[in-house]
Amino acid sequence: MIRAQNLCRHYGTHAAVRDLSFHVRRGEVVGLLGPNGAGKSTTMKMLTCFLPPTSGSATVAGIPLDEDSVAIRRHIGYLPENAPSYSDLDVRSHLLFMGRMHGMSSATLHDRIGELGRLCGLEAVMHRRIDELSKGYKQRVGLAASMLHDPDILILDEPTTGLDPNQIVEIRQLIRRLGEEKTLLLSSHVLPEVEAVCGRMMIIDKGELLADGSVTDLARRVQEGHRLTLIMRGDAKRVIAHLRRRLPEVDCEEAESDEGTQLLLCDPSGEGGLAEAAFHAVVEADAVMLEMRRQQATLEDVFRRLTGGQS
Amino acid sequence: MSRVGTIVWKEWRLAVDTPMGYVIATAFLLAAGFFFGNSLFLMGQAEMRGYFSIMPLLLMFFVPGMSMRMLAEELRIGTFELLATLPVKTVHIVLGKYLAILLQVAVLLALTLVYPVTLSWLGNVDGGQIAASYIGALLLGSAYAAICLFASSLSRNAVVAYVIGFALLLALFLLQQAVPLFPPAMQDALGVLSPIEHYQLMLRGVIGLDDVVCLLVTSGVFIAFTVFQLERRRWA
Repeated sequence: MIRAQNLCRHYGTHAAVRDLSFHVRRGEVVGLLGPNGAGKSTTMKMLTCFLPPTSGSATVAGIPLDEDSVAIRRHIGYLPENAPSYSDLDVRSHLLFMGRMHGMSSATLHDRIGELGRLCGLEAVMHRRIDELSKGYKQRVGLAASMLHDPDILILDEPTTGLDPNQIVEIRQLIRRLGEEKTLLLSSHVLPEVEAVCGRMMIIDKGELLADGSVTDLARRVQEGHRLTLIMRGDAKRVIAHLRRRLPEVDCEEAESDEGTQLLLCDPSGEGGLAEAAFHAVVEADAVMLEMRRQQATLEDVFRRLTGGQS
Repeated sequence: MSRVGTIVWKEWRLAVDTPMGYVIATAFLLAAGFFFGNSLFLMGQAEMRGYFSIMPLLLMFFVPGMSMRMLAEELRIGTFELLATLPVKTVHIVLGKYLAILLQVAVLLALTLVYPVTLSWLGNVDGGQIAASYIGALLLGSAYAAICLFASSLSRNAVVAYVIGFALLLALFLLQQAVPLFPPAMQDALGVLSPIEHYQLMLRGVIGLDDVVCLLVTSGVFIAFTVFQLERRRWA
């Protein structure tokens, strides 16, 4: 459905996207993951024909970007970053406007607005001005507007930014439902978000694709025994010495806590076996282990692993 | 409804749903009423020459007010990205916005039709001349709408867009005032370029095809400039 080949986009002398190539198949839910300024939004703007690529090419729904942008946009539902909408209009008028711009007939549009109002939980605010709504509702208005014409492809730029935890859960559920029948490309700078809704993720940084694979594979690669928090009672120095005998590269941070000594262990080699080595080190040092827990990998860990510690 | 018509509908909704539209209409009618009443009550003349001769100045203040948000605000809050990723060409977006400003100018002018109706009760009025003047005012409004829409595409700030639009119209006004200072050979060329000159020729009651064409060409040129400017932004 979406195929990009060596896409590049420059803003003046700054390269926002460099040589980006990927392929999103029909029915896939793909997350574009990267920190702010990584080039996620620029990539999406190019795929929706808002920005022309400086070089490279892409096809969306089989149509080249430079051939018929209007035809491509008929296949796409797009939620730009921060879900902009006409804040002086009420929700219904905004959706009517968006639907009419897609050439929908009045009868179809009225039915569709009713349907999406229920799906996105907008029924209660349908006649309220958008500038009176909370951020969560505005985001839902944006989502509803992107789905009005029942597009094959949904491109959602940071769909849960600025929402509270309950709203995030709701929007993720909605996206998951949509992903059952649509091709979906969404961007995020939060790893758990992509893990929660996507089957595949592409990690980009400084405009370059660092990794592309299934969410479970990539998450496993970065999480396997990578970071541990250990709480123990005994001689921490001896524990660290025993641990370094088994894993020489391991980083240890020591802190005192109410329960005992807390050790934050990080294995930059990422070869696994940190938990096992830590257990043996505590036993060999005649210390008592009170707690050991694996720390969730952060986006930083992912980058450190993927860029070989460069970022 | 075509996509251009949908944009006109949306802009009209925004104009009538927000106080801005009413503020502009009220101020315009107060100013227009003052200049109309001036010749009627102070000079005792049943004519509209005073009202129509001040029209370029009235439009110079009010058209930038109608157009300043049209593109600047869309660019500022990001809705232009929403609009430009709908299945519509940039030229259709610009045409829709331009027609929306023209519709507002037409409504304001239509509201002042009460003046000729009043005059027709008080004395003999030259209906042909007044009709030609209204058509001239609408065509001048059309040129101003395109110029101010272009100004709105130059900035993300609506106030800056107003100032640019006003400055462009003021430059045209001053150019028209300065025409007699130029050598006769240049006067004709400058006259062709001045929308106000063409409008003033229509106030005599004659709608010259060349005047209509020149005003419409001015509108077309600035619509093209606006499309070019919006496309240029995408490449920047």
